[in-house]
Amino acid sequence: MTDAAQQRLAELLSRTAMGDHAAFADLYGATRAKLFAVSLRIVRERALAEEALQDSFVSIWHHAADYARAKGAPTTWMAAIVRNRSLDLVRRTRELPDVDDSLASQLVDESAAPARDAEAHDTARTLVRCLGELDPEQRQSIALAFFHGLTHSELAAHLGRPLGTVKTHVRRGLLKLRDCLMRAGHA
Amino acid sequence: MRKLGPDLAHRLAAEYALGTLRGRARARFEAIARADAEVDAIRRQWEAAFAPFAERVPEVEPPARVWNRIEERVTAGRPRGAWSSVGFWRSFGLLASGVATVLFAAFLYSAGAPRGEPALVAVLISPTNEARMTLTLQAPDTLRIHNVRPWKTVEDAGRALELWAVPTEGAPRSLGLVANAPGDFVMRLRPDDARLQGVKAFALSSEPAGGSPSKQPTGPVLCEGLAGPVKKS
Repeated sequence: MTDAAQQRLAELLSRTAMGDHAAFADLYGATRAKLFAVSLRIVRERALAEEALQDSFVSIWHHAADYARAKGAPTTWMAAIVRNRSLDLVRRTRELPDVDDSLASQLVDESAAPARDAEAHDTARTLVRCLGELDPEQRQSIALAFFHGLTHSELAAHLGRPLGTVKTHVRRGLLKLRDCLMRAGHA
Repeated sequence: MRKLGPDLAHRLAAEYALGTLRGRARARFEAIARADAEVDAIRRQWEAAFAPFAERVPEVEPPARVWNRIEERVTAGRPRGAWSSVGFWRSFGLLASGVATVLFAAFLYSAGAPRGEPALVAVLISPTNEARMTLTLQAPDTLRIHNVRPWKTVEDAGRALELWAVPTEGAPRSLGLVANAPGDFVMRLRPDDARLQGVKAFALSSEPAGGSPSKQPTGPVLCEGLAGPVKKS
């Protein structure tokens, strides 16, 4: 997402806050496919992802004015709303299907990083480099938690490790990530 | 509510953004972040730190019915506030243009304004459907503001009134602060002020003293109205 594209989304959000229906429709058009994909990874069922996307955009319509206070990139603000709603909706009673383990290895593959503009590239590259500093198990736990919305217990079940071990991996991984991001000035 | 130290705030914010903080712990952290600006800033840092992840996810097109339902829900819901009301532009906007002529005539009469052709007029209507402010562009650099009566809630909260020009394309533009007192005020503009280019509507919002820190309205909107016909002088 380029700076110009983010700027455009910020304008659409601002106009949505004023009750501009056309701007809201444009906002949906520009972000729906990415946000639907983000939700689908977490809830895993299309019907639930549709519900999450629907609820999220109703919430965005009502709370668009909050974006001005939140600062940061519009995509980050909107993705957080979609992730939160998806995490609320997810109710997995059966075994975890189709967890994509390859994402963890892709995360440290810099060639797969989005590089459409300098700043986004810089942030993405820093994240990739910092993830590269983690132990493979820490990295995998973090990737699975983020992309699939797995809880600590679900991570433990999927990885076949004790719950305490998984919790420690996540906590230490995040701590290392924080140190690395702070050194790079990104956190 | 308990004050979180920075280390604990980072730990919880990281697990929140990652998604492993769940259930009541998640709700509790959200409540703390809402009440504590420092914790909220840490939460946002972590959300931003993970943001590049989302770029990796290949896009999936949602079915058209999702948008249809969103539209149904945002148009069917009764408006609760000026910011969130879809009916605002539609019902009040139409109403405003109807009422504008009458109110504008009354305003010109009561203010004893000169007989020059005003270039632009707007009547700003509150969410309770009350005309609260009129705007007239009397000269290319003179915006006359008539404030019907002050907002006591704004005064009591030590907040300020900020006037916005809302263009057809792009973000609202601040015209500046307006005195929270009844009567007529003149706001000086630049001739051919860029902020008035393509303006569709005006809105008045309540902002922290000194104006919105983000240069965008943070609300709530107190009144708003469509811009009347612009006559080129």
